Amino acid sequence: MADFDVIVVGSGMSGGWVAKELCEKGFKVGVIERGRAVSVAEDYKDFAQPWDAEHLNRKTAQDREDYPIQSEVYAFQSSTRQFWVKDKEHPYETAENTQFRWLRGYHEGGRSIMWGRQSYRMSEIDFTANITDGHGVDWPVRYDDIAPWYDYVERFAGISGSTEGLDILPDGVFQPPHDLTCAELDFKAIVETNFPGRKVIPGRVANLTEPTQEQMALGRGRCQARNHCAQGCSFGAYFSSNSATLPAARRTGNMTLIPNTAVHKLILDETTGQAAGVDAVDVETGETKGITARAGFLNAGTIPTTMILLNSATTAQPNGLANSSGQLGRNVMDHHSGARGYATLPGNLDRHFFGRRPNGFYIPRFRNHTEEGEGFVRGFGYQGSAMRGHWSRAGHIKGVGEDLKANARTPGPWQIFMVAFGEVLPNEKNHIRLHPTKTDKWGFPVPVLDVAWGDNERAMVRRAIRDTRAMLEAAGGTNIRTDDPETAEPAPPGIGIHEMGTARMGRDPNTSVLNEWNQSWDIPNLFITDGSFMTSGRCQNPSLTYMAFSARAADHAAALLSEGQIG
Amino acid sequence: MDEIGLQRRQVFQGLIALSAVGGLAACGGESETVEPRLAQGASTGFFTNSEMALISALAQTLIPQTETAGAGQAGVPETLQLLATDWGDDAYRQYWRAGLAALEPELVSPAGESFLAQSPSVRNQILAAYDASVFEGAVENDFYRDLKNTVVEAYYKSEPGATEELAYEPVPGEWIGCVPLSEFPKTWAT
Repeated sequence: MADFDVIVVGSGMSGGWVAKELCEKGFKVGVIERGRAVSVAEDYKDFAQPWDAEHLNRKTAQDREDYPIQSEVYAFQSSTRQFWVKDKEHPYETAENTQFRWLRGYHEGGRSIMWGRQSYRMSEIDFTANITDGHGVDWPVRYDDIAPWYDYVERFAGISGSTEGLDILPDGVFQPPHDLTCAELDFKAIVETNFPGRKVIPGRVANLTEPTQEQMALGRGRCQARNHCAQGCSFGAYFSSNSATLPAARRTGNMTLIPNTAVHKLILDETTGQAAGVDAVDVETGETKGITARAGFLNAGTIPTTMILLNSATTAQPNGLANSSGQLGRNVMDHHSGARGYATLPGNLDRHFFGRRPNGFYIPRFRNHTEEGEGFVRGFGYQGSAMRGHWSRAGHIKGVGEDLKANARTPGPWQIFMVAFGEVLPNEKNHIRLHPTKTDKWGFPVPVLDVAWGDNERAMVRRAIRDTRAMLEAAGGTNIRTDDPETAEPAPPGIGIHEMGTARMGRDPNTSVLNEWNQSWDIPNLFITDGSFMTSGRCQNPSLTYMAFSARAADHAAALLSEGQIG
Repeated sequence: MDEIGLQRRQVFQGLIALSAVGGLAACGGESETVEPRLAQGASTGFFTNSEMALISALAQTLIPQTETAGAGQAGVPETLQLLATDWGDDAYRQYWRAGLAALEPELVSPAGESFLAQSPSVRNQILAAYDASVFEGAVENDFYRDLKNTVVEAYYKSEPGATEELAYEPVPGEWIGCVPLSEFPKTWAT
């Protein structure tokens, strides 16, 4: 008798969904989390006042020593450091002449606590991108297959957004959108008039603006417009595993959370060809343990999921489990972000805003859609905001004494910021491997990340900068600042914090790791629904898609378990 | 109620208690003068008493007491002392020491007297002229820019700076994208 019906490795964005779905269907689920259990009272710092922060909330020398990589991420502050890994304890290497900024947190809920919450559907254009231009392999699903699952996860998670009727960015089940600011409304009007086909819309974000009974029953409340999300939200107002899926799983009585336990290997039953369980290590005591189940879901995050399968190699399968295609660990993608633009916008000096919006505006992809690509395939979208100048400008302009105070007290002119997120092509050369000799302190091989962007990404980011400048100029922007479009390079891999693609879905077991149900071609009771399954990366933020595919795969696995086809 | 719900309720109760204390502190803080805080802050830490005197005078001239607190009343010099003592490394400390030493002679009065010897209004005239020369490009002094930015940050993140001089809403409750400035005339604190 196995320990559980299903093991879920990882409690983050996707693992939480798998746990919820299977627990609600009556299966006994063990959720194995390599980090600590998180408590709202101890870990969330969202009630800290600005003057409570030591040293103006600046990173300390100790932070830079303990977190040399994580401390560079925008969401790292002294009030959020508890959610980022200590780099020294979790080493990785990059191949010669490559860079990779691997940004992560190991704790219950994973990066669903610190995520940016932007939530966009993939479109039919995205699902057919690979078959259209020949990069990568074809997705084994189309928009109509996943659309009902997007509805399903949006209804539960709670996504605020506006209905726009765009084929490039399908509408969903939305709670009321966050208003655009006055300056953003003017910017929208100018962009949409001057560049037909481009749209400036409110960001779609997983913050509750009109919570449902189902959400409130889980203890979740309306977003209070504090914009403290990265510190955790005591109101449960944005979607995280901690606020939504894990409480839903827990209340069934069917979930067992196993914290501080790092999975090292998947164990294969050679007689049945199915997974029998995992070998894991208690990260506090170093004690090893085996945990068994009838089926397994890997949701450890793209890179750790790949590492576990590579580390599970046997004499018969020396390249790792679930890797008969040789594609495991290949096709690493992220979103390249590099085209940042800033400007001062004219007008609206008698207008202001109220509250702190945990969101901004979004410009859906238009290149290789309503406008030509000019030297590249695929495209990019923008996130941005236009807000009145902050008090800190008083330190950057002339004035002392009462003049300085007046400068700070009076809202400055409207400042717009925007940044493009671009699609990265699947490329077999971009891969993860295990170091032959080096390990972490628990004996797990250190990963070597061998990833570099190419000509398509470079051409795209330069086009994105030119488009940024054109829109800011059309809007009458002054003091326009961008990188030089002649020489700019995409930001290094990892910075998008959307690493994905290393166990892709496909139609052919010879060229893909997973079938249309996120199920291993090789091991029928093994499913992967973290970012590894992504066959292409499209340019929109990916978490909503992980949620939808997780719920769909869990539903399929449940049917197979019930029918006795697996396990 | 499940475990998370219970924890959340406890956090809310804590918030209410915090708000009550904050309200009292804000009412009682106005009569405090700058001198006792200076004496307290000068006693320990990296900056010497004479460096702290200069920092305090510069901070208070940059952000004087008006109908709201000045930098001294808001604890800005102490924040700068803590940054140098506990937060910064040796390079940071020496940068500040050298920067202050180089800045002081730039701020002597037309009669050649030290900045500290001047009245608040003369300090204001001297510093305003120097500040203009830096920000208009006649004088290059990155240390002065850093000092000014640090004083501004420390003041507007302090409780009086955030809550009295600016507008601060710990829990706005909702987001409204476009409102008349006349109804919300002050810069938001965060």
